[in-house]
Amino acid sequence: MSLSTRPAIGPPGPWTFPVPLASELPSGLRVLTHHLPGQYVVSVRVVVPLLVASEPRELEGIATLMSRLLDEGTLHHTPIEFAGLLERGGIGLGAGMTESALVIELDVPQRRLAQALDLLRQLLAEPAFPEAEVRRAVATRTSEIEQQRAHASHRAGLAFFEAFFDPAERASRPAGGTTETVGAVTRADLVAFHAERVGPLGATVVVAGDLTGVDATALVGDTLGRWTAPSHVPAPGPRAAVRAADAARIVVVDRPGSVQSELAVGWSGPDRHVTEPAGWAAYQVLSFVIGGSPNARIDAVLREEKGYTYGIRSAFRPRRVGGTFYTSGSVRSEVTVEALRLLLDILDGARSGYTVEEVRSGADFIGLTAPGRYATADAVAAETAGLVIDGLPSDFTTSNLAALGGLTPQVLRDAASAYLTGEWTVVVVGDAAAWLDGVRALGRGDVTVVPA
Amino acid sequence: MPLDYPIHERRLDNGLRLVVSPDPSVPNVTVNLWVGVGSRHEEPGRTGFAHLFEHLMFQGSRNVASGEHFSALMAQGARLNATTWFDRTNYFETLPRGAMDLALWLEADRHGHLLDAVTQENLDNQRDVVKEEKRQRYDNPPYGTALIEVYAALFPEEHPYHHATIGSMEDLDAASLEDVHAFFQRYYGPDNTVLTLCGDVEVDEAVAAVERYFGDLAPIDRMPRPPGPQLPPLSEPVRVERLETVPNDRLHLAFRLPVDPTQEYLASSFAVDIVAGLSTSRVGTRLVRTEQSAHRVDAHAMGLVDGSSIALISVDVAPGENPAGVEERVGEELDRFADEGPTPEEMEAVLAQAERAWLSSLASQEERADTISHTTLLHGDPGAVNTHLDRLARVSADDVTEAARTWLRSTNRATVAFLQAEAAAA
Repeated sequence: MSLSTRPAIGPPGPWTFPVPLASELPSGLRVLTHHLPGQYVVSVRVVVPLLVASEPRELEGIATLMSRLLDEGTLHHTPIEFAGLLERGGIGLGAGMTESALVIELDVPQRRLAQALDLLRQLLAEPAFPEAEVRRAVATRTSEIEQQRAHASHRAGLAFFEAFFDPAERASRPAGGTTETVGAVTRADLVAFHAERVGPLGATVVVAGDLTGVDATALVGDTLGRWTAPSHVPAPGPRAAVRAADAARIVVVDRPGSVQSELAVGWSGPDRHVTEPAGWAAYQVLSFVIGGSPNARIDAVLREEKGYTYGIRSAFRPRRVGGTFYTSGSVRSEVTVEALRLLLDILDGARSGYTVEEVRSGADFIGLTAPGRYATADAVAAETAGLVIDGLPSDFTTSNLAALGGLTPQVLRDAASAYLTGEWTVVVVGDAAAWLDGVRALGRGDVTVVPA
Repeated sequence: MPLDYPIHERRLDNGLRLVVSPDPSVPNVTVNLWVGVGSRHEEPGRTGFAHLFEHLMFQGSRNVASGEHFSALMAQGARLNATTWFDRTNYFETLPRGAMDLALWLEADRHGHLLDAVTQENLDNQRDVVKEEKRQRYDNPPYGTALIEVYAALFPEEHPYHHATIGSMEDLDAASLEDVHAFFQRYYGPDNTVLTLCGDVEVDEAVAAVERYFGDLAPIDRMPRPPGPQLPPLSEPVRVERLETVPNDRLHLAFRLPVDPTQEYLASSFAVDIVAGLSTSRVGTRLVRTEQSAHRVDAHAMGLVDGSSIALISVDVAPGENPAGVEERVGEELDRFADEGPTPEEMEAVLAQAERAWLSSLASQEERADTISHTTLLHGDPGAVNTHLDRLARVSADDVTEAARTWLRSTNRATVAFLQAEAAAA
């Protein structure tokens, strides 16, 4: 047949985000399980509320170091023995900090789940923090800091948050700490920090996967249920980080020899609890319409029309309380000034109006991609853990998707205007000699130049 | 564990190979096409062309406007993209099942009738975009050109894997509209393509839909050149040093391996993991955990079909350590492993990790469809999704020892060292 006739679209099938089976163990550990037939690799997440902002100022990064050392030796196993148990057990393990929680991720084929959960208990309850491993973790983090500073996108992020948040805020400094603060952390500090901050009370474990023939709640009870932490003090509630009084300015990070300029532009945004003037769904659609695809407002001009960039992305990024609207990407050095001018114009336009077609395309993309985005055990576990971290109910994902249907151009405009003011924190990382005068001449804010 | 993903293979009269794998667990369908052309097919002076061409596939075709492929599919809830690699180019979208026909129609239009819409303006624009991709991924980051150097060091100049898929700026500049036409006519046709549909669709319905949109595409009757003969391992070390502004010294040690799919390739990939890939690997245990002369070691094998696969070990050298000494000790561990072979615990660990990785890669429809297209186009084996775990389990300790002795001795390495310019000058 001829291809001149475009086929019609059939209706999408019904779908909702799976609701977990919930229970609570005597220790105060909450258990959420998702039975997902056909997902042979079970994904486990443990969420322990722990605010990075509550680290001692002189030991910033201690929470990240602690998270990385949990599996480097336990009461009963040397570091290499424990690594062998994980590896021969078919287990993939990761641990790290968000701004408000310690998160352990574990993947394992279902038949090995019981052993994996017991190893999880050991690393949460009985980490040994051997002196040699502590020194190694500090050296690794120090090296990582140098690596990150050398990458333009990461360097831009560091400069952005340093300029955007008030200097008194923890959020203005790297979550993983600096060379100085990480270098000050001792084994005794880690042992004390772990004893006080990590325990089952208030923590949650999510188990997602094909649980056919497995009583996952009972299995968790027999393993993680034995996790005790007598000195544990549950984390205090989170609060918003305050923006710097002089956040609306331009920071240039001079990186001579760069063939591209990395741009980062941002301002305040909401967290996912937002209800007025619109719920979170409006901000997801705004992210998509402004900078979420090759046809979004930014790339339609900077990539598809001008060919200045491989791609620039914008997104509202929620924190536990409050958030940011952050845009980033790189352009070739020669067009830095023109690209920044165009980008700021497009971002300024975020407050001034949307077409029905834009609203529809964004809402449909987010709503209709949901079944695929949450189709694996890993993705379901990650989403449920994310709801736990942000203190959102289990039905948030589904109700938020339902809210997409009610969005209009006016709602998007109001939602954007509630946070965006036309002021921006701007960071440009690149070969400043090539374009600094032009950036100044844009008249978009005071310019400070710092070394890479 | 036995796997039983359904696999139904059909071949259209025009040569299109179609694989359907129904899975109603999510109301979605993945449409995944692998075209038998990659950077290994590029002519001298036209490196990077297969990838530049892939970009043009999003700029309109006979019945589709420029950029509309993305916008029309995203508006229906599709997640989509395309990638180019040494051996192939792939195009894919996952979308609600009610939009499957739209996806097939859009794919058929560009895979059959791209040239109606290609313009100099689109070519120039996407050339600029690809050059920014190269700058962003390769030219601007520290160590960004490492893989380009690795391939050049590991393979002779005339070998298809000598140059990286991204190509060179000069060659991208030289690409013309005539090249676009010739490339499309030579490589893009149903008889050089595999189409996999995975998801909430019945076999008969899928076959009928593919017939409806792809059935009229004309075959190109390409006579593909057979893959080159298996390259032997390097007989003596090759070394490339780059003095640059980098945060620490980094070593890349690369090796030729047997082609994929062979038991020898799987055995060699196990050897690579045991020596330097596992968290309990020999190099990691000695250099990272014990000596602390390195901050990090990574290793993996890339399976390829045209005369060689590739193993890559990368090591971040700790400050104050002599990179030559670190490299020598990596070599000692390679040679020791080749002499000793793996322990039972190492075999248990490598198999357990490979099993989880394989099962994880099949967890989503989109990755499963991609794997099916891969093994169908490059290995002629659509059912490999179900049999691969058995093949992994059949790799013996002796196979791993034999592979290490043949392919992974220290003398077989090509080293690309990125060293700190100031430290080297001191």
